[in-house]
Amino acid sequence: MRYAFFPGCTLESAEEELMISTLKVAEALGIELIELKGWTCCGASHIQDVDDFLATSINARNIALGEELGVSKIITVCNTCTLMLRTAKDKLDRNDNLKTRVNESLRGTGMQYKGNTEVTHLLWMLIEEYGLENLRKKVVRPLTGLKVANFYGCHILMPPKIMGFENHRNPQSMEMVAEVLGAESVEFDQRLACCGFHSVFPAEKEVMGLTGMNTLSSKTSGADCLVTPCPLCQMQLDAYQPDAQKGFKEDITMPILHLPQLIGLALGLSPEELAIQRHVVDAIPMLRRSLQLV
Amino acid sequence: MRKIHFKIKRFDGNKEWYQDYQLAYEKGKTILWALTSIREQFDPTLVFTSACRHAICGSCGVKVNGSSYLACKTSLDEVLDTFKTDYLTFEPMGSFEVIKDLAVAWEPKMEKMEKVKPWLIPSVEGDVEGGFIQSEEDFHHIASPTDCILCGICASECNQLAVNDGTYLDPFILNRAYRFAVDSRDGSPEEHIRPVIENELWKCMHCMQCATSCPKGIPLTEQVAFLRQESIRMGEVNNQGAKHAFAFVNDVRTKGRLNETMLPIKTDGLFKTATTKVPFALRMIKKGKINPFHMPKAVEGIKGVQEIYKYAEEVENR
Ligand code: FES
Repeated sequence: MRYAFFPGCTLESAEEELMISTLKVAEALGIELIELKGWTCCGASHIQDVDDFLATSINARNIALGEELGVSKIITVCNTCTLMLRTAKDKLDRNDNLKTRVNESLRGTGMQYKGNTEVTHLLWMLIEEYGLENLRKKVVRPLTGLKVANFYGCHILMPPKIMGFENHRNPQSMEMVAEVLGAESVEFDQRLACCGFHSVFPAEKEVMGLTGMNTLSSKTSGADCLVTPCPLCQMQLDAYQPDAQKGFKEDITMPILHLPQLIGLALGLSPEELAIQRHVVDAIPMLRRSLQLV
Repeated sequence: MRKIHFKIKRFDGNKEWYQDYQLAYEKGKTILWALTSIREQFDPTLVFTSACRHAICGSCGVKVNGSSYLACKTSLDEVLDTFKTDYLTFEPMGSFEVIKDLAVAWEPKMEKMEKVKPWLIPSVEGDVEGGFIQSEEDFHHIASPTDCILCGICASECNQLAVNDGTYLDPFILNRAYRFAVDSRDGSPEEHIRPVIENELWKCMHCMQCATSCPKGIPLTEQVAFLRQESIRMGEVNNQGAKHAFAFVNDVRTKGRLNETMLPIKTDGLFKTATTKVPFALRMIKKGKINPFHMPKAVEGIKGVQEIYKYAEEVENR
């Protein structure tokens, strides 16, 4: 299995542990990820607020980089990157006039957007192409006894006309993966909540409140850790957790894992190999306890 | 016989409770049918609002299992299938004051809506006697936002409103501002946009809930993008939201990728960053999540990226 890989900016810096764990997991599963050469930021849901033509064009270029590789799909591990790339693709594939103008803007890149390569998220690919039964066969350390709170993040679900992998009102993909890995999914109120990351600067007070509600809700439901398929949700819920705590009397502490880290643990990789020690809220003592790791 | 179990949140003006009802399953019904049947067969005291039963009056918004729906437009089978259950919990819409049971108060929302002057401020070209001529193309700009039926479902699902102190404008109010700002017959778009800027426009979290849940399919998040672009055109660039967006635009132009280390300074300025973000920065540095000395190199093919910017500026935004 061979895919083009669009990492996105956070994987190069603050969320480098997601780069490390994604590559480790892909290797263990026999999935070849070819990083796009010269990819740029997807716009992170901000560039369209200044100029939507620009937002579409830079992502037409990103997708064209994948098309050049001759693979059928570009894989991402970030909800927002997935949404930004798929939004651009949707606009270009539905509007020939826009596609012509965008391709005009791509002249200097020596590439053209053709529209023959899909954009998908690792979570979707595992279910749709790799197959959960094949994943089950690779599990060497079932996560028995580990209670996980699956936090989807908005951009892997909405808007459904662009994302549309599953019903946004009651998605099940994360629970399906958790089940295969041997973990137990807990129900919690904030499962489909927003992490608020995209407005953390202009709406700091509100977003910190939301962060605390999100982690507290998972804690109250008895989760050992919260798992998310999005590095931006992870960053918001983990790195800002000490700031969010200040607004709460109750202890809101909750370790936050990236989806590939959860998968990697079940594949027998150690927390250190998956760079879990990089998290602000230390997840390792909880993992040692729950999974009896030494 | 298959039974559908309903748990409905009740409120009598003082106390709240959940009440259980059961209905025999019937195929091809709406969730409004369920509410009406419960009221007619079991409990005449149950309060909810509805009128047209055709997704026109906008009065029947309700939350089912935590998700907002227009009751008359939504099939019961679809909801049962979505949640894979025969147990449904009905609650009033979120971000609204509840009057009784499932009925919510609209007056405060209407008062708030007045801020954006949700009426046509005529341009000098038109007058009362001669009328206001609009081309078909110009009409198409207002066709979609005019579809709004004020059901409030966008507000019920809005993640910012859920945690906001009430200042932030509901998506349907932003839609009104947009609808008049883009109307070719309106002479003062800024009078609709200015109040939007003054009421926390940049606090939208971009969660996509409003556009996703709108029963009329109005692209509300695209309107937020438009209102923000307009605010920038009006010179409103000295705020965190606009500065944050420009940080992305400029980083992609110069390097292709975001410089996360510099992002807080570009958004908040050096002073605010130094006074408020130090604990955050230190914990990030400690975990190796931020390397203050890392300056990203320009990506391969950055010249081509810059050509895209040039085209966008010189041709598209001429
Ligand atoms: S009853 Fe009028 S919109 Fe539902």
